[in-house]
Amino acid sequence: MSEQKTVHFIIERQDSPDSKPYTEEFLVPYRPALNVVAALMEIQKKPVTKDGKKTTPVVWECNCLEKVCGACMMVINGKARQACATLVDQIPQPIRLAPARTFPVIRDLQIDRSVMFESLKRIQGWVEIDGSWEVNTAPIQNPYTAATAYEISHCMTCGCCLEACPNVGPQSDFIGPAPTVQAYLFNLNPLGKFDKEKRLNALMEKGGITSCGNSQNCVEVCPKDIKLTTYLAQLNRDVNKQALKNIFNK
Amino acid sequence: MFHVTFYIRRLHSICGIVPMGLFLLEHVLTNAEALGGPAAFNEAIGKIALIPHDIMLVIEIFGLAIPFLFHMIYGLYIALQAKNNPSQYGYTRNWQFALQRWTAIFLFVFLIIHVVDLRIFTKGGGTPISYALLDQMFNNMGWFILYLAGMIAAIFHFCNGVTTLCMTWGIAKGPRIQTFIGRVMMLVCVLLSLVTIAFMAAYKMH
Repeated sequence: MSEQKTVHFIIERQDSPDSKPYTEEFLVPYRPALNVVAALMEIQKKPVTKDGKKTTPVVWECNCLEKVCGACMMVINGKARQACATLVDQIPQPIRLAPARTFPVIRDLQIDRSVMFESLKRIQGWVEIDGSWEVNTAPIQNPYTAATAYEISHCMTCGCCLEACPNVGPQSDFIGPAPTVQAYLFNLNPLGKFDKEKRLNALMEKGGITSCGNSQNCVEVCPKDIKLTTYLAQLNRDVNKQALKNIFNK
Repeated sequence: MFHVTFYIRRLHSICGIVPMGLFLLEHVLTNAEALGGPAAFNEAIGKIALIPHDIMLVIEIFGLAIPFLFHMIYGLYIALQAKNNPSQYGYTRNWQFALQRWTAIFLFVFLIIHVVDLRIFTKGGGTPISYALLDQMFNNMGWFILYLAGMIAAIFHFCNGVTTLCMTWGIAKGPRIQTFIGRVMMLVCVLLSLVTIAFMAAYKMH
């Protein structure tokens, strides 16, 4: 019988939000089409380090296991990506896992991404339906922009773009590419466009679109291939027009 | 409420082109006269000196000093808000993003040295700028390298700044036009750098 092939993992761990990070190494039995989440499940089953020392299971988050929910975003071999969609066969070993430190770390690879939810509230990332007006059947989407809206609606607030963006982090107040571009999605909506001015004015505030430094890492790392930089440029156009309106319409 | 950040950012962006970018181009062109030898260079400086001193001083303070200081100080604040990560994400634009900030910090120091030394102490002290004066200064290899690095850093910062300005103002939206403008500006950067290297070398080759 041939020797069991293994996959070498070096994982950056942290026991609590304030404690010091440390690394632990693991060997996971190899099987074809193994992905990072499945490997983490193996570690959970048998939390023993490479040196045979028993340890606590590595904590991480995941839900859908098919690159739709965004929960398992982490830094794999230096780049932010979804652990479920990262196949062990396609990346060099040892595989280094680290939490996305743009966000507060809760434990090990688990992070608190609620800041993105707060940002979505800030840019009014929804369509206002309830009000003092008559509720009719929904108007149709503009067929010329529907494909764009569909593309942006794929955003799963995983946070890859925020992790890769050099202007997002504790040192800056930038809300990041994902929430910013969501403003464009809702501005395209036939009902959402009524609140376009509100969203654009929110983007002109501190930490809004003006904090974008055009490093364009966001579009490179987006797991849903959303053309973030194109929509950021469109929003830049829109806020410039809005600024002119703010100056000359009152 | 009043979007102060937005207007300051946009002003910062414009300042980089007018007056700073234009002044940089003027600087490269005037200095390139050194290629024609001491007489040509001194003549070019003489032409600028024809502008009456009082008018020149107003231009220097309001057209140059104030916009420069604003762009430099606010720019430093912007640069410090970035955690540069090109070693992790080594894409071209990300390298340019980091270089824009590194050159910014270098130029902040360089411009203060350059202006305080040549404009305030030397020219302000009554010694006119001339080919001979610069020649003597560039005899010192340290000054020569500092000035060459300063010019090339400023040229890169300006050219890359034009590229990002086109994105920031929503002029170039899609990846095709953004890449095109980026490449054209890098070509301009190389050409202006070659001109700079040529006229700087002129001081060393006589």
